[in-house]
Amino acid sequence: MPEGTLCNKNTVDTKEYLNALLSDKRGKKYYEEMKSIEVDKEKLKAALKATCKSRFHTWLDLCSHCAMCADSCFIYLSNKRDPRQVPSYKIQSTLGQIVKRNGDVDNEFMRHCMDVAWSQCTCCNRCGSFCPYGIDMGIMFSYLRGLCFAQGFVPWELKIGTGMHRIYGAQMDVTSEDWVETCQWMEEEQQEEWPGLEIPVDKQGADIMYTCNAREPKHYPDDIADAAILFHIAGENWTVPSQGWDQTCLSLFAGDWGSCKMQVQNVYGAIERLKPKRVIGTECGHAHRCMVVEGPYWVGRKDGRPPAPYLHYTEWVAEALRTGKIKIDPAKRIRQPVTFQHSCNYIRNYGLKEVTREVMSYLVEPGYYVEMTPNKEHNFCCGGGGGINGIGLYREQRNTNMKVKRDQIIATGAKLVIAPCHNCWDTIRDMEEIYRLGIKWSFLKPLLVKMVVVPDHLKPKEDQ
Amino acid sequence: MYGFITGLLLWLSFATLVIGLTVRTVVYIRGLDWQVDRVAYGTHMALGFREATRSIVHWLLPFWSVGWRAKPLFTIIFFVFHTGLLLTPVFLIGHAVLIKERFGINWPTIPMGLADVLTVLVMCSVLFIAVRRMALPEVRIVTTAYDYLLLLITAAPFVTGFLLVHQVADHRLWLYAHILSAELLLIAIPFTKLYHVVGFFLSRGQLGMDFGIKRGFKGDGFDW
Repeated sequence: MPEGTLCNKNTVDTKEYLNALLSDKRGKKYYEEMKSIEVDKEKLKAALKATCKSRFHTWLDLCSHCAMCADSCFIYLSNKRDPRQVPSYKIQSTLGQIVKRNGDVDNEFMRHCMDVAWSQCTCCNRCGSFCPYGIDMGIMFSYLRGLCFAQGFVPWELKIGTGMHRIYGAQMDVTSEDWVETCQWMEEEQQEEWPGLEIPVDKQGADIMYTCNAREPKHYPDDIADAAILFHIAGENWTVPSQGWDQTCLSLFAGDWGSCKMQVQNVYGAIERLKPKRVIGTECGHAHRCMVVEGPYWVGRKDGRPPAPYLHYTEWVAEALRTGKIKIDPAKRIRQPVTFQHSCNYIRNYGLKEVTREVMSYLVEPGYYVEMTPNKEHNFCCGGGGGINGIGLYREQRNTNMKVKRDQIIATGAKLVIAPCHNCWDTIRDMEEIYRLGIKWSFLKPLLVKMVVVPDHLKPKEDQ
Repeated sequence: MYGFITGLLLWLSFATLVIGLTVRTVVYIRGLDWQVDRVAYGTHMALGFREATRSIVHWLLPFWSVGWRAKPLFTIIFFVFHTGLLLTPVFLIGHAVLIKERFGINWPTIPMGLADVLTVLVMCSVLFIAVRRMALPEVRIVTTAYDYLLLLITAAPFVTGFLLVHQVADHRLWLYAHILSAELLLIAIPFTKLYHVVGFFLSRGQLGMDFGIKRGFKGDGFDW
């Protein structure tokens, strides 16, 4: 069965393979090889038999072709209502065909499936709530991604991402040592301004175990410092694990379910080792989906819940503000039009709609907060979800897809967009670069650090 | 001939409908897999049923769901169509007479005038749905010949029944056509997309459970 050296059905489990992929600039050779790999039809057939059960069969069979889903899809709307972007069409012409032909499909068809699965759907799950039958095409696309991945048809960057998770237990090549060093570095850097500030590593039985996104130690270490400052001010008894600290999982975007399971086991392993009362995750949407919404199922937890209560960062912020653990200086509240990006992964898919509004009520002077329309569980995807932000091959499509979010933001008149989700944050940053809206964008942490009232006993001695 | 199609064939049609739908329901439920679907059905049964019901109710009533509100004209046509489809055959005086004759049951009925109006509305809705399929590019791209066939199968008992009641031309021809087309419809339901007569409840309920159990632990409830 013809396989490429870079593009093949194998998972990336060695540094040699990972480095070979990384040195293939923009995946040129990888995508060239993809054109000639053979579809393992028997394997595909077996996968369908094992995992394509009544829910998917019913969804595919039952669809009455009413196209009520069309307007629910931001990609359809962003692409001038191109009928080929209607969710039911997209799924029927890809997964629908694979199921109908029971896996008897060729290389060209699988490459087409890859294009549709990763550039025409971000798995935002909005269509499911607009279909009378509740047919959720986002879930089916996620499933299709898994089928494509197993056959070697996955965008180059995501193949690399799965390798990172498999080898480093993180989405980037940040080792446990690198991570602990970064924490120590941030701790030392902040101690002058914040005497007594600590980033405790591997503390047993803390009230909070904090998990983050590997991009934070790799590219934005200040985010870890901000998290530490806020926990310090709030007087929290917290810790970070030395292993199992990366809450994210690019393998979810890639459809590499084996590595998803490994990643969740890493983090749950840390929970079981350190036995914190609860876990707080960073401002990331898909990370929350991985560890809290879907992760329990990947590792086979029958109750569908993680081993300890696992909060999204916004939940902790709301609680800290509500209980007065952190207080906002009224003079520093936001006094410019500001809007909030309701992330699909923890608002539509986890129900944190009121929590995020509560946070805004503390941060923003009344009259300055403007909701996007639609909002909450009906909000549109930022345009960069589901992994597309990181895929060079689909950059143009991504830039087109973000038009709906662009217009939503423009309509609010906001000058600041608060986006407590890495993907949303990235998309809005890129949107500003491409479409020049004249907006700023931010996570919650840097805003909070600037706005929070510092209790006297935490101020450096000379200030008192 | 009349005896056969109103006797054995009718019983067979009803039996096919009931057994077919039962089998499909059982197969659907047995095929649900908590781990593949990523919904802990078993552990959170009560929450699941509550959210399933909420989701179903929102979609059973016109304009109660965000989806229905997004498409007002289609929603009106949709509900008129389905109301006519259900009410007319079940409460038609002509059918009640047969039930009385055969089983001695006093079956409730709706006035003939209303039945006529509903029948005409059903036929108009079918026409509207067919035109919509041709006119709107987003619907046209997903439409297949099969979709028109289903419309035809659904509309046939109404068209023939209407002609029969209003004594247009050959009474016997329309009587036979009406009975046979209705039996075809009953038999077609479990084997086609018309299976949605139970499939809707299963599928909508399942997504309600999904959002309730997997995605809505926070208890705010999904605003369908």
